[in-house]
Amino acid sequence: MTIAQTVPAGSGTAGGSAADAVTHEVITGKLLATVDEMAIVLARASMSPVVYEVLDFACGICDAAGDLVAQTNGITIFTGTFSHQVRFLRARFGADMAPGDTFLTNDPFEGGTHACDFAIVRPIFAEGAIVGYGIAVAHLLDVGGAVAGSLPPDATSVFQEGLRLSGVRLTRGDRLIDDIVRIITENVRLPQLAMGDVNAELAAVRIAERRLGETIEKYGAAAVQRTFGRLIATSEARARAVIAALPDGDYSATDVIDGDGATEAPIPVCVTVRIRGSEIEADFTGSSPARAAPINCSRGALTSAVKTVMKALVAPQEPSNEGWFRPLTVTAPPGTVFTAEKPSPTGWYYEGAAMASELVWKALAPLAPQRFPAGTYMSLCATYIAGSGPDGLFVHIEPQNGGWGATRHRDGASGMIAITDGDTYNYSVELLEAKFPLMVTRYDFNVEDGTGAGEHRGGFGLVRDYEIETDDAVLYGSFGRTATRPWGAEGGEAGSLNGMEVRRGGSARRLTRPARFQLQRGDQVSIVTGGGGGWGAPQGRDPELVARDVRDGLVSVALARDTYGVVVDPATGRLDAAATAELRSAR
Amino acid sequence: MTRIATDAGGTFTDLVAFDELTGAIQVGKALTTPRDPSIGVVDAIAQAEEEGLATAEATLFVHGGTTVINAITERKGVATALVTTRGFRDVIAIGRGNRPDLYNLHSEPAQPFVPRHLRFEVTERMDARGEVRIALDHDDLAAVADRIAASGVAAVAILFLHSYVNPEHEQAAARFLRERLPGVAVAASHEVSRQWREYERSNTAVLSAYVQPIMARYLSNLADALGGRGIDCPAYCMQSSGGLASFPSAVAAPLVLVESGPAGGVAGAARVGEALGEPDILYLDVGGTTAKCSLVSGGRPVLKPDYKLEWSRLKPGYPVQIPVVDIVEIGAGGGSIAWIDPAGAVQVGPESAGSDPGPACYGRGGTRPTVTDAKLLTGVIDAEGFAGGRIQLDVAAAERAFGPIAAHLGVDVVAAAEAVIRLAEANMINALKLVTIQRGHDPRDLTMVVSGGGGPMHAATLGRELGVRRTVIPRYAGLFSAWGMLTARPRIDMSRTRLIALGPDAMPRVQAVFLELACEAATAFGVAAEALIADRTIEMRYRGQEHAVATPYAPGESLAALLESFHAAHEKAYTFRLDDTPVELVTFHLAAELETPRVGLPDISAETTLAEAACGNRPLIGADGRLAPAPVYTRDLLPPGAEIAGPALIEEATTTTLVLAGQTARIDRYGLISIAEIPSAENPGTERDDREAAG
Repeated sequence: MTIAQTVPAGSGTAGGSAADAVTHEVITGKLLATVDEMAIVLARASMSPVVYEVLDFACGICDAAGDLVAQTNGITIFTGTFSHQVRFLRARFGADMAPGDTFLTNDPFEGGTHACDFAIVRPIFAEGAIVGYGIAVAHLLDVGGAVAGSLPPDATSVFQEGLRLSGVRLTRGDRLIDDIVRIITENVRLPQLAMGDVNAELAAVRIAERRLGETIEKYGAAAVQRTFGRLIATSEARARAVIAALPDGDYSATDVIDGDGATEAPIPVCVTVRIRGSEIEADFTGSSPARAAPINCSRGALTSAVKTVMKALVAPQEPSNEGWFRPLTVTAPPGTVFTAEKPSPTGWYYEGAAMASELVWKALAPLAPQRFPAGTYMSLCATYIAGSGPDGLFVHIEPQNGGWGATRHRDGASGMIAITDGDTYNYSVELLEAKFPLMVTRYDFNVEDGTGAGEHRGGFGLVRDYEIETDDAVLYGSFGRTATRPWGAEGGEAGSLNGMEVRRGGSARRLTRPARFQLQRGDQVSIVTGGGGGWGAPQGRDPELVARDVRDGLVSVALARDTYGVVVDPATGRLDAAATAELRSAR
Repeated sequence: MTRIATDAGGTFTDLVAFDELTGAIQVGKALTTPRDPSIGVVDAIAQAEEEGLATAEATLFVHGGTTVINAITERKGVATALVTTRGFRDVIAIGRGNRPDLYNLHSEPAQPFVPRHLRFEVTERMDARGEVRIALDHDDLAAVADRIAASGVAAVAILFLHSYVNPEHEQAAARFLRERLPGVAVAASHEVSRQWREYERSNTAVLSAYVQPIMARYLSNLADALGGRGIDCPAYCMQSSGGLASFPSAVAAPLVLVESGPAGGVAGAARVGEALGEPDILYLDVGGTTAKCSLVSGGRPVLKPDYKLEWSRLKPGYPVQIPVVDIVEIGAGGGSIAWIDPAGAVQVGPESAGSDPGPACYGRGGTRPTVTDAKLLTGVIDAEGFAGGRIQLDVAAAERAFGPIAAHLGVDVVAAAEAVIRLAEANMINALKLVTIQRGHDPRDLTMVVSGGGGPMHAATLGRELGVRRTVIPRYAGLFSAWGMLTARPRIDMSRTRLIALGPDAMPRVQAVFLELACEAATAFGVAAEALIADRTIEMRYRGQEHAVATPYAPGESLAALLESFHAAHEKAYTFRLDDTPVELVTFHLAAELETPRVGLPDISAETTLAEAACGNRPLIGADGRLAPAPVYTRDLLPPGAEIAGPALIEEATTTTLVLAGQTARIDRYGLISIAEIPSAENPGTERDDREAAG
């Protein structure tokens, strides 16, 4: 890409002198260092494993208008929610904000995602006026509602999904407001953990205020605000240049969500991406109406999901800010599965959001193959095992890693976290066994179900088996891609499916979106994620790579022969080049 | 009374010998010989001997280098197999499954160092309490041993779940495999780490096995070669922890050498701090390609809690559980290239002109502007006197190189050069804040020690911006890492994960854990536990938290005192404390150093005067951006007690120290340069009431 030419030359002088240009870079560096520091403090001080181990959180700084100017490198699904949430709180509190105030919202219908995600926002003042906001969002382990963990997969309305605090003041003069704390602690199952996480988030936004304050003290509020404006303007110009270089046109994709828990029936969804000059629109009109089931997402999460793919298209490795998304419009009528409205449940919003991301990706893939691989296991396959153990109530939440699609240049990645997440970690077996009455009996590649074959094959999904070591536990979760396999690209084959199975004695029960499956001591819960789609025809795969996969126990001798047309000696794992050439030429 | 250090780098092997009585320094340099680095070391020794080094008088030999890190980053270790618990063969390939390059849909996990066909499973299982759930299956193990023998690997790592709490199965498997596979290196995870998290411990064991045969051969050859040259003093390797390890213990756990070179500088900074009576030191080293910074707290290097090889913002890297000094490294050095990014902003680094072609002013074909060129254009470096006058710098080439940036910014080349220096220094400031403010340390309580060929040119500006008490330039700033190796003491780091609730009965258990660690350390050194200087910390946390805060512990300390120091440490790190929440102890660390005489800092000669050291003036950029004449001094002629008011330049063979207007530089009895602000009405140097509580 030759972006440089489309940016006004000498933008270093556009805002003033050379000194200004350098000051801008210096302040930008401080902003990025600040959001990094916020994230470190939040992760390390938090109390929920889903925050400190899985890192399901993000931090950022927005300007006085609420536009994002800097964000941590954490999780993609929060890419687009910050600005919505800050604008909502500005609209609600207006001039009634003072230094030392912080505000809390977890409302999915006001820019949020689901009630578990607590957004904490602190206005930052200079000379009596707001210059920006520090924001932290973290997934609290439990916020009340129908089940421990607050995500009943059979919820039919948002009121079953826990406490909703739709824009409340949390501190005044940097002191927690006791009434709000009482509402939280009396309405959640693990109040000490909840307040631990709230404290960690407060610490993060306090850091934002402190560091931004230091920067303002040194360079002045005006210089800092100029940097905010310039960061956004520069990103916008670069994003527009990338869009403008793509051919105008309408690009469509369709797919299905595999059931909503109440029914296994496929739920049709679609997108049309329209590119006109430097503008891009993602239009989800025609997608299924919202379901009375929590796989819906709200408009805030939809926007965020589309922004993730927009960022992947225009500048995957640059720091995020609102400017990259200025050329983007997200269109969808209210009340679809992607634009659920109150009181639709949204607890498992990432099921809908992940699909929205993959739809746009699938539509754009032919235009920008260097950016977009074949289909992935997609669903976060989040699994809850909750119950009582030696230390009382426990809630084990776990997003599962799976197979990614092959790319134009190489095989897909195995066992990597889904599109909605990012720098998020799987759970250490040693750590979780020390904490919960669970024992992991297997954690390895899902070789049995395989991956999408291709010139480059998909990455492998995983198998994680739990043995239950308590008499009181329930299993719930919500797995997508349990019937429709990840798509292959350019002649590559489709990948394999996600699924969950409970084995008891000699019998096995297959589950997709179980709401409250009662477990017994000794049960084996087997969590399986799928392999990604392949890229290019399997017959074109380098025979040596096929032989390597056979030696590694990833591909059988029969599959090598039948799918790839490659003959491998079963005893040595060596390639038989002559027999392979003969077999391939005969096809 | 000569201490000798050799540092086998990627290109050159450097030798520094230090005569403790006279303070004389001797240097040697030879090409590194990657196939057997001991040859390069011997070449460097031979060269120094020709210049008069008397090896027979050596009292200490320390060796550091990049052999381990290079074998890993260049993937030149030995073929390695892994034996692990049944069902967990792919843990090392799955890693943590994270995507730090989160918007790049083509990103992939770090590739494991053991391919799948060399990862073998054995039936066995411990639980989290260390109780055997499934006994080790010896038939399985025997079959695996046969397959490993047939595979022809040179090393095997063993990782069984929960071996950090009960290593019995790993011990039995290691014994068996060592017996069955003579000539194959075997590394069991509990031998290299006793901390939990199976992926991180796997990496530690695998990487240890991967380099072990190479280091065993190399250090054995080196020991023979030293003996052959009559060097029979104690010989050590420089560890990443800032301490020394005997050759046999380095062979047993070679990963401890992974950041050997940089750790030397940190050890040197701690020694300088000791000489100054300052236990808390902020250390910065600016080389040709990078700047590295680190903190010394209470006279000890601060270790990194989660060290990762090949990590970046966009790459998950390879986490390993070994004690490594907490170094933040950024791509800003003398050779760092300034460029205009796609958004039109000027950036500095991480690309470097290196030593070939080097900065434009070297006149070796470099055409792109570097920080060194900027220092030349702003008058900090002298075109005539660079590198002791051995290299004549080309000012016109530097001006040409800065032309495009000057045009882009709409200013002259000197202003453009000044802008580039400000940007490079802003990057260094962010890194320095990362190891101080972001870890809860206030730079205003610290003395900053600055080394490296490039460091002293930036030191005064960085010290002023951070507000440190003073900025100190040690002698031989360009050879500081090697000198630092000579100052280190033999050291061993022991850790143990053991989850204990902090209650009335906790303290006896705490004492028992530390006693166990101290006995193991004493056994390792072959001395009585009393002969060790031990530093104890406990990773503690509020119940419910996962990550813990390192809290210092003194033997015999009361429960109340330990609890209070934890609350304080937590508040310092994370801005809050939870007085009513139960507290847990997680991992116990004991760093033990052997009490040995420290290297001395000899006094400098008082026979010269300030006037003799003065060697004229040259145009230097000032705060107003204009060039104005500033006095220049020769460092080696400055007497103790000399005071120089800025602006001024102090030159020596390997670097130049810049002193700003409003600062004074004072020379102390050891020849250290201390730069401090001159107190003024606007800048009441000692008034500290404007500071923030935890800032």
